[in-house]
Amino acid sequence: MMRAALEEPIRGGARWSYVFGSGLAFLVALQAITGIALSVYYVPSSDHAHASVAFIQKAVPAGALLRGLHHYGASAMVVLIVVHLAQVFLFGAYKTKRELIWVTGVVMLLITLAFAFTGYLLPWDQAAYFGTKVGTSVAGEIPIIGEIQRRIMLGGSELTTLTLSRFFTAHVFLFPVALLLLIVTHIFLFRRAGAAGPFHHREDHRVESFYPRQMLKDAVFMLALFVALAALALKWPADLGPQADPSSDYLARPPWYFLPLFQLLKYFPGQLSLIPTVLLPGALFAALFLLPFADRRAERHPFRRPIATGILALSLAGTVGLIALSKYEDRANKEFSTRFKEQEEASRAFLKSKFEPQVIGQVLAATPGVGVAPTSFGENCAVCHGDRGEGADSAPSLIGITNKPNRTPEDLLKILNDSRTYGLKEPMPASFDLSEDEKRQIVEWLKKLK
Amino acid sequence: MNFETKTSGISDTPEAPDKASTTVERRSFLGVVIGGITSGIGAALALAIGRFTVEPALADSKTEQWVDAGQLTDIPEGKPVKRAMTIVQEVGWGRFHEPGSVWVIRNGEAITVFSAVCPHLGCSVNASAKGFICPCHQSSWDGAGAKTGGPTPRNMDTLEHRIENGALLVRYQSFKQGIAEKETV
Repeated sequence: MMRAALEEPIRGGARWSYVFGSGLAFLVALQAITGIALSVYYVPSSDHAHASVAFIQKAVPAGALLRGLHHYGASAMVVLIVVHLAQVFLFGAYKTKRELIWVTGVVMLLITLAFAFTGYLLPWDQAAYFGTKVGTSVAGEIPIIGEIQRRIMLGGSELTTLTLSRFFTAHVFLFPVALLLLIVTHIFLFRRAGAAGPFHHREDHRVESFYPRQMLKDAVFMLALFVALAALALKWPADLGPQADPSSDYLARPPWYFLPLFQLLKYFPGQLSLIPTVLLPGALFAALFLLPFADRRAERHPFRRPIATGILALSLAGTVGLIALSKYEDRANKEFSTRFKEQEEASRAFLKSKFEPQVIGQVLAATPGVGVAPTSFGENCAVCHGDRGEGADSAPSLIGITNKPNRTPEDLLKILNDSRTYGLKEPMPASFDLSEDEKRQIVEWLKKLK
Repeated sequence: MNFETKTSGISDTPEAPDKASTTVERRSFLGVVIGGITSGIGAALALAIGRFTVEPALADSKTEQWVDAGQLTDIPEGKPVKRAMTIVQEVGWGRFHEPGSVWVIRNGEAITVFSAVCPHLGCSVNASAKGFICPCHQSSWDGAGAKTGGPTPRNMDTLEHRIENGALLVRYQSFKQGIAEKETV
């Protein structure tokens, strides 16, 4: 079998333009390997997902690299699959005996988008939560089956931890199995039909085996992909914003590969929104599926198929145009651009900040109107001063403390550093092993206790 | 499939026959390059995943801490009592506040605190008429924690303690299991 694979005849000889299929196979393998690695720490539950991803990204050795490879690898897959399909379309390689290869390829494009859609939610940060909320609502607008379909996707009427669980199941169990079966079918059919060869047929007499020259080209391309993805992952770490806060007014935008759809939605208000959400994608994929059966002429030269080539050029230009337009409109809108800047800033700040483990199982009573004390207060002060700073036998109440003499916020910070200079005695500890941030959080919270 | 034309890299080309040996050399050289590239990518990934999964597992765990085991007045004379407490453990992405327990024996002023974890294989030790017993493999100890029978390799593990404002504070620790010496994890 190895021999058969290596000695597959390539009509017309090895070419750089043939590397995209192998490149995609490589990316699928890379996504699988990095995905399995990430699952070692990832927790698919809305109350721990974000903490576990932050841990991977900030604290685990090589975590930022592996997550970055997976993150950018997903985008690379979308790009490469479009390039691969466009090339097969342009070179007429879907014709004669190759119809099913094309059809399985189109199905894999759909599955890749489904992978991207479900994977996007998993970090459970602001962008993931609100992006998916809008995405699933769009799916809910389909007539008749829309609402049922939306509920089945969400696991209920709202986007909750159940949604996260089922997106995770689809992302790591269902889609990989489906994709694997399709890849096997795709490659099997491709091998049986043989490589299509150049569309001009001038070099059809020249046949070269896959090994070594085509394989070398494929390997060089894979190396280039790997190096590029690793460089991206290390230079610009994969995004991770603050944990999803359903009560916030986050301004959501879909990931770039759904921007064309998003942009079209702006032009079709109300009932007309079915045109971009259902009709247009439906028509596009129906056309893609039917293409090899509708176009049965043997002619493969792109210049002798002006209509096909023109449609491809227009669709690609339209897609890129819509993405650019959407980006441009967001930048041109003053209100939006300020908001996006703030959100990006918050995201960057979160990514840069030191990893803080999530506090689990600590139960602190909340003060009405003020809220629960910071964790560091709970762990260092609440034992004596009470969860709400109300005081007890061994320690005084802290309510209204900032109004007392020598207890300004600055004084309180100093007390946390060295309580003895303020004449405080046992059992008050002389100092606390807390970070500056934690001390500030405690003082900020104390200021609110009135 | 048609396999007639594949023993050399390129066939049907006019110069193929007289360059047969160079073609073979070229093939094997390209094979080495291909092998180098694929094993390079594989090695980089293996290294990253190795560090990702192994390094955190080998890092020092931070179970050691002083915990409040309750008021001294709540501890009766002469017989072992189990004290529940909250243990804070930093594990991966979380700081977990979890229930833990220790055995305490008070004889007047003298207080002994034992870890409730069996030094054999880590089951929870119970009190018995004669002292302590582990229900898993029948290891037993007397009231002072000295080994009296069963597979346990050592006496019960004592924990440091101190009294502060009438409260018993215990230095909670984990010890290695299955060895004769008491060693912290």
